[in-house]
Amino acid sequence: MPSPLTALHEIGAHLPQLLAGFGVSLVIAIAAMAAALLVGTAIAVGATSRWRIVKALSFAYIQVFRGVALYVLIIWVYFGLAIAVGVNFAPIPAGILTLALLNSAYLAEIIRTGLQQLGHGQSEAGAALGLSRWTVLTRVELPQALRAMIPAIGNQFTDVVKDTSILAVIAVPELMYVSQNLAQQDFEPFTYYTFAGVLYIIAVTVITAIVRRLERRRAPARVAAPAGTSVVSETAQEGIL
Amino acid sequence: MGFDFDIVSRTMPAMLSGLVLTLEVAVWGMVIALVLGLGAAALGLSRYATLRRIATVWVALLRGVPLLVFMYWVYYGLTQASGISLGPMVAAVLAVGLTGSAYMAEVYRAGITAVDPGQREAAAALGLPARTAFWRITLPQAARYVVAPSVNVFVGLLKGATIVSVIGVADMLYVAKKVSVQTFTPFELYTTAGVILIAITVVVAVIGFLLERRLSQGRERYA
Repeated sequence: MPSPLTALHEIGAHLPQLLAGFGVSLVIAIAAMAAALLVGTAIAVGATSRWRIVKALSFAYIQVFRGVALYVLIIWVYFGLAIAVGVNFAPIPAGILTLALLNSAYLAEIIRTGLQQLGHGQSEAGAALGLSRWTVLTRVELPQALRAMIPAIGNQFTDVVKDTSILAVIAVPELMYVSQNLAQQDFEPFTYYTFAGVLYIIAVTVITAIVRRLERRRAPARVAAPAGTSVVSETAQEGIL
Repeated sequence: MGFDFDIVSRTMPAMLSGLVLTLEVAVWGMVIALVLGLGAAALGLSRYATLRRIATVWVALLRGVPLLVFMYWVYYGLTQASGISLGPMVAAVLAVGLTGSAYMAEVYRAGITAVDPGQREAAAALGLPARTAFWRITLPQAARYVVAPSVNVFVGLLKGATIVSVIGVADMLYVAKKVSVQTFTPFELYTTAGVILIAITVVVAVIGFLLERRLSQGRERYA
């Protein structure tokens, strides 16, 4: 057992490296989340489309990417696909791509639920006012659906932050990768993995607190959630990895 | 680019025996999660603030740490700190199970709070002790709210268990990696592994759906 003082000393000596790694984790998480939100919104709109083929394709997309494990997808993209198509992915873009693909499916499902909770009244009212379908979607329906889903979307973001740790397996220089290297080099796994864990917990706690504040500040939802939807709490998601 | 089916069929037996290890980790992890999760949920619903706080911290810590980090922490960190060497399988099951317990605690809590308080009050009015009321009245009714999200948690643990090769468990992906390094067929083998794992998660999800439908028989359907 390393003494707490030695541990602190080790952490202190490598703090710049560790924090730089943490920075990489956060930047990747934000980039992946932004991409996932865009794609997820498009897929959610597709899943509520009138065209049956668009609907089926959107659902297939959601099913596939919710069914696949991140670790499997990342090595498939980075090692498998790269060789099959003869492209050499750089680790960071490959990581962002994978995280975005996977999380866009979860976000699509969240946003789709938000859109469906709005009911037909909103789009009918928009149509009655002579708004185009596009305007109704982008100005009426999506803003409401996204706002109603802030807690779930925020929850998903904490998963994205945690997910970035997997990118260590393709040598993205994020927090976990830096910690692995230092743990091996100094032979102090307990110290470095504890510290990494603490940083992730801080990130998740801060994001959760921000989301809660956003949620409290937003105008009271005008659309009540249908009975029973809150029973299966949003915390019970599959976002373990 | 051709898809080399031959290497897939030749590697399949080894991959499937690796798959068994992944399933074992997920199933044993789920057993731990079911038991410890119920304990954590019970603490969280306790009337003593200290116990509730312990449960909150338990959930926040285990849900805040990525599984990969936690697995390394258990396998390398704890071994270093305690001097007790856990095998990779035990470490993997512990990491998956403890993480799962935090998710299950939330599932149980949501399920138990979803049961109408009138049920507990009625039991009290009939003179049932609180403990009996919990085990015989509240918990059975909470079960139907718990099943579907528990299956979700299990699917999550199963997906999480795919990383066990990083601490040296010779699972399906470990086999795929080893063989593809020799034969240069990562696309074929990783695709096969991915398809098999997706198929399993789909089957588990369908079983969960059927179970849930069965349990909600005779009840109004929730949206």
